[in-house]
Amino acid sequence: MQATHDNGPIDVDDDGEGLDPRQAAVLLAQSTRDAQRQFDPRPPVLMALMGAVVLVAYGVLWLSTRGQHPYSGPSGGAIVFTYTVVVVTSIAMVKLHRRASMGVSGASIRQQRVEGAALGLSILCSPMIQGAMYHYHASHTIVYGVIPAAGPLIIVGTTMLGIAGIKADWPTFWAALIAVIAGMIALFVGPSGAWLAAGIGLFIAILSFAIVRAKLQARKEITWAPTPSTP
Amino acid sequence: MGTDTLDPVIHASARLRITATLAALPAGDTLSFTRLQDMLDLTPGNLITHLRKLEDAGYLTSEKTGNGTASRTSLALTSEGRAALESYTEALRDLLGGL
Repeated sequence: MQATHDNGPIDVDDDGEGLDPRQAAVLLAQSTRDAQRQFDPRPPVLMALMGAVVLVAYGVLWLSTRGQHPYSGPSGGAIVFTYTVVVVTSIAMVKLHRRASMGVSGASIRQQRVEGAALGLSILCSPMIQGAMYHYHASHTIVYGVIPAAGPLIIVGTTMLGIAGIKADWPTFWAALIAVIAGMIALFVGPSGAWLAAGIGLFIAILSFAIVRAKLQARKEITWAPTPSTP
Repeated sequence: MGTDTLDPVIHASARLRITATLAALPAGDTLSFTRLQDMLDLTPGNLITHLRKLEDAGYLTSEKTGNGTASRTSLALTSEGRAALESYTEALRDLLGGL
């Protein structure tokens, strides 16, 4: 064993003498739970919170366009609010991911980088289509309503669906499927309704992901270990 | 309560925590010495002692890359190490279930 540090004093060299099986079970359960939490880049509680934030952002866009005749698109304030939410959420997600993967390397990290690149490219697709629609003088209903609301859910959702399916990551797979279906519904409910449909769909997708992940984590926990207070 | 059925290499608080922590990573991934030390809050000397015992038993591999301040020690459980932790967990469960 080589290490790159000043080794310091060697304190305890316990060899299990006096380690009761009950204590060992508690320690094993705690260590496993702590490690799983620290390596998890998408903690269920934060994901549920993110779902609520997304719902609020899409709700603001819907409120700012509701009752417009003719449809002109979300107000400047609503757009600024949404972009702020997107930027803050993205920064939080990147920080969480970096913290979880700090010091970790190997096949799963390389795979995550490739997935990140694919998702990044798919996120760019919707604004590109929106730009093309604008260039060809499509109506505001399409350029500032249906496409920006439904496009990201369908395009990014389908990309995630493929990645999750290959990895047999079923919580992500079902969440992505819900997002894609919500995006398809959003295509046909009018420009203002598209924001509402997309927001509700994305909220359900993220929330269901968080719930399923939390249940899977609970199933993995060592439930047979005695509680730390057990004598 | 008898502990004869428990693997003595794993049945020590520090090594149990090390093994459980590394087992939480996907197979094939490695963890840096620094992150492991940070997660377990052990002194480098103490951590090295326990890592060496796990490595001697074939439960762990370590690889040092780079030189000087840029050097990094990566750690991973071997398939034997994962299997040993599973056996240890089962043995512990049986012991406690027999209470």
